[in-house]
Amino acid sequence: MNTGTQTGKLPVERRGGFSRKFSGIIEPYLYVSPALVLIIAVMLMPLILGLSYAFRDIRILNPFSGGFVGTAHFEALISDQAFLDALANTAWWTFGSLLFQFGLGLVLALLLNRQFLGRRLVQALVFLPWAVPTFLSGLNWAWMFNPVVGPLPHWMTSLGLMAEPFNILSDPDLAMWGPIIANIWFGIPFFAITLLAALQSIPKELYEAASIDGATTRQQFISITLPFLAPTIAITLMLRTIWIANFADLIVVMTNGGPADSTQIVASYIFTQAFRRLDFGYASAIAAVLLVLLLAYALSVIALRRAMTHTDS
Amino acid sequence: MASIQIENARKSYGAVDVLHGIDLNISDGEFIVLVGPSGCGKSTLLRMIAGLEDITSGAISIAGTVVNELQPKDRDIAMVFQSYALYPHMSVAENMSYALALRKTAKEKISDAISGVAEILGLTALLDRRPKALSGGQRQRVAMGRAIVRKPQAFLFDEPLSNLDARLREQMRTEIRKLHRRLGATSVYVTHDQIEAMTMADRIVAMHDGIIQQVGSPVEIYDRPANIFVASFIGSPAMNFLEGSYEIADATTAGIRLSDGALISVLPVADAKPGQAITLGARPEHISIVADAQSGGLPAKVELIEPMGLSTLVHVTLAGKPIKIFTMDRPDYPVDSFIHIAFDMAKIHVFDTASEKRLPPANAAGILT
Ligand SMILES: Nc1ncnc2c1ncn2[C@@H]1O[C@H](COP(=O)(O)OP(=O)(O)OP(=O)(O)O)[C@@H](O)[C@H]1O
Ligand SMILES: [Mg+2]
Repeated sequence: MNTGTQTGKLPVERRGGFSRKFSGIIEPYLYVSPALVLIIAVMLMPLILGLSYAFRDIRILNPFSGGFVGTAHFEALISDQAFLDALANTAWWTFGSLLFQFGLGLVLALLLNRQFLGRRLVQALVFLPWAVPTFLSGLNWAWMFNPVVGPLPHWMTSLGLMAEPFNILSDPDLAMWGPIIANIWFGIPFFAITLLAALQSIPKELYEAASIDGATTRQQFISITLPFLAPTIAITLMLRTIWIANFADLIVVMTNGGPADSTQIVASYIFTQAFRRLDFGYASAIAAVLLVLLLAYALSVIALRRAMTHTDS
Repeated sequence: MASIQIENARKSYGAVDVLHGIDLNISDGEFIVLVGPSGCGKSTLLRMIAGLEDITSGAISIAGTVVNELQPKDRDIAMVFQSYALYPHMSVAENMSYALALRKTAKEKISDAISGVAEILGLTALLDRRPKALSGGQRQRVAMGRAIVRKPQAFLFDEPLSNLDARLREQMRTEIRKLHRRLGATSVYVTHDQIEAMTMADRIVAMHDGIIQQVGSPVEIYDRPANIFVASFIGSPAMNFLEGSYEIADATTAGIRLSDGALISVLPVADAKPGQAITLGARPEHISIVADAQSGGLPAKVELIEPMGLSTLVHVTLAGKPIKIFTMDRPDYPVDSFIHIAFDMAKIHVFDTASEKRLPPANAAGILT
């Protein structure tokens, strides 16, 4: 009797179970679909659209443009000397800025980690460069380098670094240093604040134990501070590299890529192509190349980090 | 190994005085336990010996040399921290060898020292692990090992067992004592746990509010506490206190009159006048439960019976004050019933209520002096 009802019920249950199982699989996706649709619409669509421009002839002033041109833009890029120069400039701009931002940021973080009078005030002041809109700081620095209105050339002359006051922004050999210096000033707070946060998470007893063990301040820095900071250093350096490589605002405001393209980086070159020459197709192609380069960089850094932490443990 | 002298050492943080003139002589090879309630300045004193805190005034010498101005690394001491402070990115072996490596000790010597100490502490199988892959007890051992490897003049411990569970703490207590016997190194051990103090110390230093209250062997401190603070802090369950006034009966007997008129007999003390306000102190094991008033018992109301396995603790009220009685019997008095309790006259402590100091019996024949 008992078994009879069970076998009798079984097929019905299985059918019901199947449709229930199916709706069980589909249900969670239905719940997240609004978010998914939003993310795809907001994040993926522009990316795909932008990438598709790279394969089309889109010039705003040419009403006949808009056709598909295949890889023509990329072929043109390979022999575009201005682009290759911009690539080299990007490396200079990125690592020149990054090195000093990081070095000075670390020094500032170490100083701020000490106890001194007015420390809170100084900590607040360190944030200041961030409170200034980028284009304003660009203008400000451009003026400071200008011998007519700014003090910097005169100071450098007094220090004997210059024979006579002149604007380094108009010297093709030196012009890149202008935006780099502005960028260093702008980027130090980021490193100072993140490294300071990491420094403050190091237990004080470790330094005490090390000082009893006989470590000098320098040895303590090497065997305690650096290992503790390493993860923060790795991640911030990677993020900032990508960010700086894409960061053309200061250059556009201060030199507009000049003189004679000597401060043109890839990002500002994209800006020039898109908004001055109004060639959106070509600009998109450059942007696609930059995207691929930065992705490759990020992946290699992540792989390196993973390899290092694996040999570590 | 070395002796440590502390002379009139003071410590202030700005206007806050934390230590008010500490004098202490620690002899070579002695195991000293600094004990006291939280915030009394034990850690501060220990850290001053280590060189981690400046000495506001006074002098600390190790092996006869004043070390006030010496860096921690030049004092040749080792410290075990409550948090262990192991270097998280170094293996157990690296943690233990760090100090030796900094001293440019030869590689073979280091590995000999490490394997020797690892053997003693049972860490041999863990030498390649990182601290985060160790249990609390194992970390504690590594912290001990890191201190021992260096063969310092003195060991300083700041509540090294307080992060362990009760059973492990008991085990480490005996292990540290055994280690001390084996190494014979001068040790200063800070704890707020009076059981650790009683079981481990050669001499206990009881501190309160930045002042040393008493220095003595565990038995001395337990049997002859210098004042009410030491009497109440040392011993678990804690000593019972009753307030009353002093009365003299005859040459061999005095009494304390309680607020409800009851009289408790005590040995006469030299420095008390009749009528003087007295605090009477009796440890739970020095109060007994007697049959009736005829046997000299005072009536007390039962509040709670607390079985503790080996013994039983009977909570009663006498003259409105809570009293704990320790008994090896298994009493089953109903709550709120009345029993009679008697005080062991020879073992009762008499404290001057005003100064809180203990007044020793005048009679030299007294068991306690
Ligand atoms: N930097 C400081 N500034 C002001 N007061 C301090 C400072 N450090 C410690 N103190 C005070 O000194 C007193 C003693 O502190 P200490 O750490 O020596 O206590 P402790 O006896 O070790 O207590 P615990 O058992 O809780 O560890 C405390 O009252 C504390 O508030
Ligand atoms: Mg402490």
